[in-house]
Amino acid sequence: MTNVKTRQLSVNGVKRTVDAPANETLLETLRRIGAVEVKCGCEKGDCGACAVLLDGEAVDSCLTLTGTVGERAITTVKGLGGAENPHPLQTAFADLGAAQCGYCTPGMIIATQSLLTNDTDTPDEADIRLALSGNLCRCTGYTKIYDAVLDGARAMREAEAAK
Amino acid sequence: MYANFDLLVPDELDQALTMIGGAKTAEDCAPLGGGTNLVVDMRASGKAPAALVSVARLPGLRGITIAEGTVTLGAATTVSDLLRDPRMLEVGAAMVDGSRVFAGQMVRNTATVAGNICCGSPAADLVPPLLALGASVTLRSAGGERTVPLDEYFTGYKTSVRRPDELLTSISWPVPAENSASRFYKLGRRKGDAITMVGVSVLVGMKDGVCSEVRIALGAVGPCVFRAKTAETVLKGKAPSPELVEQAARKAMEEAAPIDDVRATGAYRKQQVQVLVRRLLNQTIESLS
Amino acid sequence: MNKMDSAVPGEQNVSYRQIGKPRTRIDSPGKVFGKTPYAGDYVMPNMLHAKVLRSKLPSARMTRLDVSKARDLPGVACVLTYKDLKIGTVATDIPAQTGFRRRDTDQQILVDEIVRYQGEPIALVAAESVEIAEHALSLIEVELEPVPGVYDVFEAQKPDAPKVFGDDNIVASYKVRKGDVEAGFAAAETIVENTFRTQYIEHAFLEPEVGLGWEDEQGVINIRTSTQAVETFRYIADAIGIPHSKVRIRGALVGGGFGGKCDVTVELYIALLTLKTGRPVRLGYTREDSFYGHGKRHPFIISHKTGFAKDGRITASKIDITSESGPYAFMSPYVLMYATEAGPGPYLVDNVHIDSRSVATNNMYTSAFRGFGATQACIAYEQQMDEAAKVLGMDPIELRRINLLKTGDAIATGFEVQSAVWTEECMDRAWAALGEKPKDEGAIRYGHGIAAYQQGYGRMIWLHDTAEGWVGVEMDGTVVVRSGMTDIGAGQTSSLAQIAGELLGVDMMDITVYNSDSSTTPLAGTSSATRGLYMSGNAVRNAATAVRNRLAARAAQHFGVADSDIDFADSRVFVASDREKSLPFKELIATCASEGIHRSELAIFRAPFGDWIDPETGQGQVHPDYTYGAHAVQVAVDTETGEVTILKSVGAHDVGQCVNIAAVEGQIEGGVAQGHGYALSEELIYKDGCLVTPSLSEYLCPTSMDSPRIECIILESRSGLGPFGAKGIGEPGHTPAASAVANAVADAIGARVHDFPLTPEKIARAVSATRDNG
Ligand SMILES: Cc1cc2nc3c(=O)[nH]c(=O)nc-3n(C[C@H](O)[C@H](O)[C@H](O)COP(=O)(O)OP(=O)(O)OC[C@H]3O[C@@H](n4cnc5c(N)ncnc54)[C@H](O)[C@@H]3O)c2cc1C
Ligand code: FES
Ligand code: FES
Repeated sequence: MTNVKTRQLSVNGVKRTVDAPANETLLETLRRIGAVEVKCGCEKGDCGACAVLLDGEAVDSCLTLTGTVGERAITTVKGLGGAENPHPLQTAFADLGAAQCGYCTPGMIIATQSLLTNDTDTPDEADIRLALSGNLCRCTGYTKIYDAVLDGARAMREAEAAK
Repeated sequence: MYANFDLLVPDELDQALTMIGGAKTAEDCAPLGGGTNLVVDMRASGKAPAALVSVARLPGLRGITIAEGTVTLGAATTVSDLLRDPRMLEVGAAMVDGSRVFAGQMVRNTATVAGNICCGSPAADLVPPLLALGASVTLRSAGGERTVPLDEYFTGYKTSVRRPDELLTSISWPVPAENSASRFYKLGRRKGDAITMVGVSVLVGMKDGVCSEVRIALGAVGPCVFRAKTAETVLKGKAPSPELVEQAARKAMEEAAPIDDVRATGAYRKQQVQVLVRRLLNQTIESLS
Repeated sequence: MNKMDSAVPGEQNVSYRQIGKPRTRIDSPGKVFGKTPYAGDYVMPNMLHAKVLRSKLPSARMTRLDVSKARDLPGVACVLTYKDLKIGTVATDIPAQTGFRRRDTDQQILVDEIVRYQGEPIALVAAESVEIAEHALSLIEVELEPVPGVYDVFEAQKPDAPKVFGDDNIVASYKVRKGDVEAGFAAAETIVENTFRTQYIEHAFLEPEVGLGWEDEQGVINIRTSTQAVETFRYIADAIGIPHSKVRIRGALVGGGFGGKCDVTVELYIALLTLKTGRPVRLGYTREDSFYGHGKRHPFIISHKTGFAKDGRITASKIDITSESGPYAFMSPYVLMYATEAGPGPYLVDNVHIDSRSVATNNMYTSAFRGFGATQACIAYEQQMDEAAKVLGMDPIELRRINLLKTGDAIATGFEVQSAVWTEECMDRAWAALGEKPKDEGAIRYGHGIAAYQQGYGRMIWLHDTAEGWVGVEMDGTVVVRSGMTDIGAGQTSSLAQIAGELLGVDMMDITVYNSDSSTTPLAGTSSATRGLYMSGNAVRNAATAVRNRLAARAAQHFGVADSDIDFADSRVFVASDREKSLPFKELIATCASEGIHRSELAIFRAPFGDWIDPETGQGQVHPDYTYGAHAVQVAVDTETGEVTILKSVGAHDVGQCVNIAAVEGQIEGGVAQGHGYALSEELIYKDGCLVTPSLSEYLCPTSMDSPRIECIILESRSGLGPFGAKGIGEPGHTPAASAVANAVADAIGARVHDFPLTPEKIARAVSATRDNG
């Protein structure tokens, strides 16, 4: 382990100081510091299980070198919400049965959040299918995921309108 | 396992050019864009350049400008940036086609246009559209800058005229003339996140009933992406007809020199060049009349 | 979208409070909030990291193995080779409850001399970090001398073929002789013959194999791992040479299994390294390891010769089945049995002749995969039915209708099915859901395809399957369920909570399910063979019913009514005939506790037991019962490029009784997507035994872009052997999906591609062949 540098990362709003070698990926760093909700399925960008938001945009953390993250805010599925303050997408995924084994779920929710904030907040099924094609799910056949995204997006729009 | 390397994160383009300035080969020092190629390759090979210079977030290197009849993409413009800009449909529809079938969302959010060109893959999906649009690339080193037509950029399988001390800083093409249309089609083994079996892009411009501009670019059927120039000449300056389109498609097929691999045989790829060139020419021509 | 039917004599009036309702699963919140710990998320202080060195060649003799440099590398705690093993082999059989095991099919743990497949483990390393372990692997000196191998099932059966397994490379073989096929063919008006081939398939569960082992204060080797079967602890104990009671497997919620996490993989290596080092050891497979490191779905070659009478009735069915087992047995004999039993499909055929065999090669070994051979059988018999319809000039639906099995009819093995057989209704409804076929436009042609099926659920009855389950009520009225069953993402634990909750009148969210711990939860067997809900659901139902009966007796005494007049709901106890009279559940519990009334129960459920089918005729009972249904697909095929777009995909199944509707639909939808991939894009390609597609960018599972919304039509006959009349649906949802796609493609292009997967290239070639032929 050469070229280790001390870096400041912002993970779900919390500043973390980590020593990361130059060749460490963000996936490795995050799991090493306990953010194990970020899943590893391939380490090649093929599955999307490792997706996190960098300043609101979803990336595969397995393809991102930690040293290039800089001051960008890292958000994992835990950063979106929890039992006390569930994010509408989390509620929709749970209630509509969109998580089976659940291993793809953190990445799916992150990719969806990125779609809704960066591309469109009123996605149709074609938008959803395009936005999630980098997130493999081997359990659900995607149908309930499409439903959950549509439902979660609607809930988010309603929440926004109520503000 | 990743080999060790030094990771340099410059704040300014000039700094980056200095860092890369001493590179004699790509093993000494290489630019790192989104990393969607490089990081995967380093993992697969267990090898890495001695140093990487991160260029994806350099100020001024990301963005799309359309001015004075020219479309210019900063080198670090991402595939998602292309999809999010509604003007792209007007000035480079083939790029939108290419971006929509490109990888999955996270890779699109990260992958840069420069990285797609510089990885040199014959299956790079933005290169056929860029060739069809008649793009040029700007290469810059600490010593200066030059602009190279993309058509003259590749010299073979993963080789190009770019020197190791040069960065690709921007890509530009003329705003297509009125009454012209461009398309790209990617044939893959599946619909989402696939590696291209055959990629075809065409641009046709019509003036006074004849094809004033014709560019046909082929991906994944040769050592690098290339233009099917004999096919182009079949139509250029002529009034399009089904026979000429068919003839151009056949010529394009003859120009293709694909290999067999796990995705498809060369024979199938060749045949598909004909199918897709014919189809895209018909679609573009029809959309113009 | 979902149509619920429940029309069954006798049971119409039963209404459930939780069963069958669209409830959020108890495991969902943890998953969506990122709180669920998977096996790979556990770490321990002082933990070592392990790696496996694999053979690069598929068939070789190891002439040299020197690990000294690796052992000397600082940070390496342990390197194990075959020389360090007390016992060199491990069982490859089903970890059944009876302890029965085919000893002759054990596998070498680490290569001692002969390499039989590419990726076979040669050495294990445990080190202070993953990096050091990887470095150590590179320092191990191995010399492998290639030995001629055999990579084709027909070559492997030739007398002079290299021997990979036994003295004839035959891992198992079966026969079915029912009626008189020759007479049947003689009576036939038309005879249709076809051969169909299927490919090697990868499970591609999203979570690669992973586990963490440690030794506890009693010297027990504990292994926290992602598995479908905690019962493997016995095989691991046998393989490392310690008593069964000294190995404990603790599951976690599993990131997908589909049959691929039934066999022993990482857990054995972890056990060996933990035992050797005395330190906690973590071994996580990379995706590439996973491609090389677990058994795949069997390729099959199935030939059908079917005789039809003038009216379309099947007069005889002669089927020849060959499956590829790779070099070790694993589940191959059982998978072959399923395929053999399912050979002629859900049709009544009086004259059946089946020969089947599983053949060893030096390609990757094969084992369990959702459907367990019944899927491959379906791919053959349902394509055969469509081909026959074409030859006979009949409508494929009508041809099927004439031949479908009904309740009481004998299947291929002579067993008369007792439960509802609603194939016809499923078929009609799935087909109707497709609607009109769109008009062809240019190169695009549309096609509709149907496939019906029969799939056994539960284990083969001679395996004497049992499952135990424990239910207890806490002092505050919440409920605890203990079951050894693993939860592989299908909602297994949640269904148990729903069942216990239904019977005890406690909401499922107030129920905690402890599961998949081989030493503290009652053993329930693997989550495979569509036996999870059937076996464990019944065990938990038995346990909850016993507890309920005791509590009801005490409540009846309190209210002065008959036991049968007591009802439990919403955490209260009611007098059913006078609902004003009620008591909070926890008050009843307090009373019971103070009086020493037993508030928990350990129950066992025994599936029907029986003997092997007759080895000469294949006649007898194989499975306790069967699930039936059908799948329909609409595709658009680009006849020039050969690309297929699935537009509609509809599964109609009689599930007996839904326990959790979202979970049932989820099983169907997920199984269907795997079926789409099976038919169109997925394929592990081995070239002379070497895998050329070891990544998820080369092995192509369907993405969202490939996956339309899948429609489920769920019928409930309440006639199954599972709890509340449920039938199994874990595998069945998948079974007919690929066949339906193949039939739809053939319908669209007017030609058939007999070899899976139907790649664009093969389809384009088939289209041009039909053109060339006129
Ligand atoms: C899962 C997955 C799916 C993919 N799907 C597709 C697809 O559908 N179509 C497709 O075309 N590609 C695909 N790719 C490949 C890859 O994403 C693209 O080629 C991408 O455009 C590369 O861009 P990047 O910025 O990530 O490049 P990097 O990986 O950062 O760099 C690639 C190469 O370009 C060089 N480079 C980068 N920037 C510069 C610069 N400014 N000047 C000079 N050299 C530079 C690097 O040194 C390196 O050699 C996929 C990759 C993955 C992991
Ligand atoms: S682990 Fe990053 S995409 Fe699969
Ligand atoms: S729920 Fe298992 S992979 Fe998506």
